[in-house]
Amino acid sequence: MESWLAWARGPLFWAALAFLLLGLARHVFVVGWEVVRITRRAGDGRVPYRRLAKVTLAWLFPFGKLRNRALLGVTSLVFHIAIILVPLFLAGHIALWQRGLGLSWPAIPNALADVLAIVAVVGAALLVLQRAIAKDTRAVGRFQDYSLPLFIALPFAAGFLVMHPEWNPFPYELTLLVHVLSANVLLILIPVTKLSHAVLMPGSQLITEVAWHWPASAGSKVGITLGKEGEPV
Amino acid sequence: MTTSKYSYYVENRTLEVTERPRKFLEAFAAVLEHGSYGIALDAYARMCSRCARCASSCQLYDTTEAARDIPIHRSELLLRVYRRYFTQGGLAKARLFGGFELSDEYLDLMAEEYYRCTACRRCTRYCPLGIDHGLITHLARWLLAEVGVIPKALVVSVREQLEGVGNTSAIPVAALKDTCEFLEEELEEQTGLDIKFPFDVEGAEYIFFPAVSDYLLEADTLMGNAAVMHVTGGSWTIGTGNFDGINYGLFYSDRMMERIVANLVAEARRINAKKILIGECGHATRSAWFIPTFAGQDSPPVVHCIQYAAQMLREGKLPLKKGKIEGRVTYHDPCNIARSGRIVEEPREILRAICEEYVDMTPNRADNYCCGGGSGTVSIDELREFRTHEAGKLKAEQIRATGANMVVAPCANCKKQLREVCEDNGLESVQITGLHDLLLKVIDFGTSASSGENAEDAKGAPEVTTEAEAKGE
Repeated sequence: MESWLAWARGPLFWAALAFLLLGLARHVFVVGWEVVRITRRAGDGRVPYRRLAKVTLAWLFPFGKLRNRALLGVTSLVFHIAIILVPLFLAGHIALWQRGLGLSWPAIPNALADVLAIVAVVGAALLVLQRAIAKDTRAVGRFQDYSLPLFIALPFAAGFLVMHPEWNPFPYELTLLVHVLSANVLLILIPVTKLSHAVLMPGSQLITEVAWHWPASAGSKVGITLGKEGEPV
Repeated sequence: MTTSKYSYYVENRTLEVTERPRKFLEAFAAVLEHGSYGIALDAYARMCSRCARCASSCQLYDTTEAARDIPIHRSELLLRVYRRYFTQGGLAKARLFGGFELSDEYLDLMAEEYYRCTACRRCTRYCPLGIDHGLITHLARWLLAEVGVIPKALVVSVREQLEGVGNTSAIPVAALKDTCEFLEEELEEQTGLDIKFPFDVEGAEYIFFPAVSDYLLEADTLMGNAAVMHVTGGSWTIGTGNFDGINYGLFYSDRMMERIVANLVAEARRINAKKILIGECGHATRSAWFIPTFAGQDSPPVVHCIQYAAQMLREGKLPLKKGKIEGRVTYHDPCNIARSGRIVEEPREILRAICEEYVDMTPNRADNYCCGGGSGTVSIDELREFRTHEAGKLKAEQIRATGANMVVAPCANCKKQLREVCEDNGLESVQITGLHDLLLKVIDFGTSASSGENAEDAKGAPEVTTEAEAKGE
């Protein structure tokens, strides 16, 4: 068990972290490259960056956007806050960074982390429940739309039990292994699943905008490629 | 020449196209190479988290509650093809496990579904990830057009515009001039002034492109346009080489859209006009906003006639009678000019100035509901049942809730659709009109023939009495 744990916390973690960072960097690079390429060859390369930034910010901090589907909106918002804050600002995690790389930053109180971990787990369950109940979300839900929130809840549940051995019915080391392993798998899943919205979302308004910026003769070039340039309407 | 394989008529040649899946994919590849859609498809296919907020913002889904009418459900039809044939992961998965293959039946399904979306883009405003389902509909329709699937009503109009008489309503220049002469006589009768529809004025500041159908169906709107230009001393002209702002290319093919826009700019350059003035037509305006895309950033700037009128009103160059438009008036924001928030306040400024009682619909401006006939579906008569009872039902309720007896809609398509929506939803007493139709009635021409001039009793526009009042309701 100990060697498993050492492997999961050591080589596997670094590999998963590298995969995550490289994967996310790939998304950022591809989008950035495409935006430059598109706006350079577009007939009209003027992009309303200021307006896009405003809309993007409004969605990054969507407190004004909760009226449409209030319950789902609030659940989702609280869930996101919890799963972003806890892994990054838990004192125990920061101590590991300190030990490994000598990096350190302010932590949130452990009591708050406890609450947020519970919020993450309950939030995930509520998200899945709401998806299953509402007719429209059920109609478009795929396997991953149910499994991913529940899988995200796993390291938070295990982490909470690690922090509170007195409530933990499972062996401490096993719980810690589940926590570390599931978190590592999650890091790997982020760039290759819909969780990639973690990094794509801030660029999504820009992506939609530039998709409407075509080269001046995009239409006729498509016609030429398809051999239809002289064809009647 | 028609068939009803789909909910809309298509030409017989549609059924003669063979190897459609292969041709569809070839077109898809060409569009990805030459266009800019790839970046969006790639991001959408990857990151959509199926929160279905698009469903709760869609007026069609609100009415039908059918899974097929959830925007992402529809968009997924195309994203699935994209993923399978144009991403490494999809290609590898298909090689290893087989699975989805594009078929004729699948194309028929898309042909049906993508004409149930009016591309109003309301859902885009409600998507946390900025996914533009209107863009997907726009693209899917183009790809379908490349395998021959185009509603007959749309393709026939474009053919007439690009290869026939030169405009979608097939109005010859001689007939246009006759019509305008008749409108000039009408104007003289109403105002006592010699208000002109000027043709081919070299170097005019504005060259005017309305929806050409207005010359046949919405004469009051055009007379209003002419009257505003006259009293404000605007320099404007109609080009006899091209006088049609309609661009159905926006609804089914960027190839056609590009050609139609090019013709517009060519006419402006022939006349040497400085600016392009668009009439009361939503999609003509949005198409014209693509002019810099197709004709370069130095092409003539685009001004919408409502922007012009509002500017003149602000500058005090639009004299108004004392009497205002009677009754309760509301305003319908056409998606093509309002969704982006570009033209929302100007019409309200004008309406507040000229109406006794102006009320907004809820929701309004950029969040307004589509008339239900957007993206060309209004021109497809065989879709009327769908347009007025499914796509337009919420619009009818929205109008009903205002209690207005007049709806102002500065868009030829919206006007036709809203009249049918009102007819089919028990709102027969509601009058649908253009904004310039009302301006024509309230402009103070300073002549005695101009009815209601200097009216003492604030009832200067008796001709605007609504049907509801006429019926004593």
